Amino acid sequence: MSQSPFAIELDEMTLARARRGDMGACEQIYRKFQQPAYSVALRICRCPELSRDVTQEAFITAFGKIRQFRGDAPFWGWLRRVVVNHSISALRKLPRDDAVELQEFHAHSDGDHERIGLSMDLESALSTLNREDRAVVWLHDVEGYNHREIAGLFGKTESFSKTRLSRARAKLRAVLECRTNRTNFSKMESATR
Amino acid sequence: MPHEPDQFQQDGVGNALKNDVKMTAKVHIMQQERDPLNLAGLPPVSSPADDWPVIEAALRKHNSRKRIVVLAGSTLAIAATVILAVGVFVYRPYGIPAGTAGSPPLQATQVTPVSSDGLPPNPLDSFIALSQKLESNLRKIRSQAGVMPTSSVIYQVELEDLVVQVDEELSMRPDSMNLWSQRINLMLDLSQLYQNELRREYHEMASL
Repeated sequence: MSQSPFAIELDEMTLARARRGDMGACEQIYRKFQQPAYSVALRICRCPELSRDVTQEAFITAFGKIRQFRGDAPFWGWLRRVVVNHSISALRKLPRDDAVELQEFHAHSDGDHERIGLSMDLESALSTLNREDRAVVWLHDVEGYNHREIAGLFGKTESFSKTRLSRARAKLRAVLECRTNRTNFSKMESATR
Repeated sequence: MPHEPDQFQQDGVGNALKNDVKMTAKVHIMQQERDPLNLAGLPPVSSPADDWPVIEAALRKHNSRKRIVVLAGSTLAIAATVILAVGVFVYRPYGIPAGTAGSPPLQATQVTPVSSDGLPPNPLDSFIALSQKLESNLRKIRSQAGVMPTSSVIYQVELEDLVVQVDEELSMRPDSMNLWSQRINLMLDLSQLYQNELRREYHEMASL
């Protein structure tokens, strides 16, 4: 099974140095984990600027509390939890969702359909989800969180996570299907001409 | 049958391959169930800028603030010890404990650890035993010592802080001879400090 993009091993020596407050070791850790940290923050928060802030805060928190890392699990799992917690917390502070709803997507003009349809791939399909649905589907499908863990992060029940996941997947499938149909239709049209 | 072992080997390899294929298929199915839309296949995204300088500056600021807090804490601890010492003096003006003057001075050579099997003791064990002995002696002397002058209190607090630091290091490296020797030296310094205090008290009493 494919692992989380966070699953990068860290040598004991670097970790020990970082625990002692060695800035060189902290920088090494930052360089190693910067990309997965920013990626997960961006998938959850969507906004690049906010994701940068979240990543910075998460690393500052992690290095400030690195002595609390007990070492009974991989370091990357601990760091990922810090980043995800910061991302979810930033998500909560945002105003109400501004995601493109599927119904709105259908209601647009043909020109819009064409424009959106052409640029629609998995990435943009993700952007049509509302923030919570996107976070749930990403944490479950990519990062390997289970429903109990997701429920804990959002302070909700497991059924919240299950419902959100199934809704998010259905929406993603519908958007991707719509895009495939449009592509096929365009191909057929150009073939008949 | 001359070919029997080869056949066995081939069967073994064949079974291993079959199992491997089965396992791969199983993993693939599990992966499909976990991530049916293959979101994990999306490429990772890098931050548009290098944020390390910002993080480093924040960490340095945080560390210097922490140092100030620790320093303030130590100062408060010293102040508290002085107040406590003065308090003890006020409440115990005549309370010279018995045996104060008669306590023999501490010497490192008092302890000669012997292993149970009669073999020459491991130097590390000797260090640990000596450290324990000094600690228990220190506890006895401390209970007998009276009020210390401020300069001695500061020295005492510093020494005790160092013992705590060495103990922290020892919890991570319990076999370090160097750390045990540092601990012994600190204990001897502390013992010396209390011994001097007891001597001073004795002379004060004698001059009355």
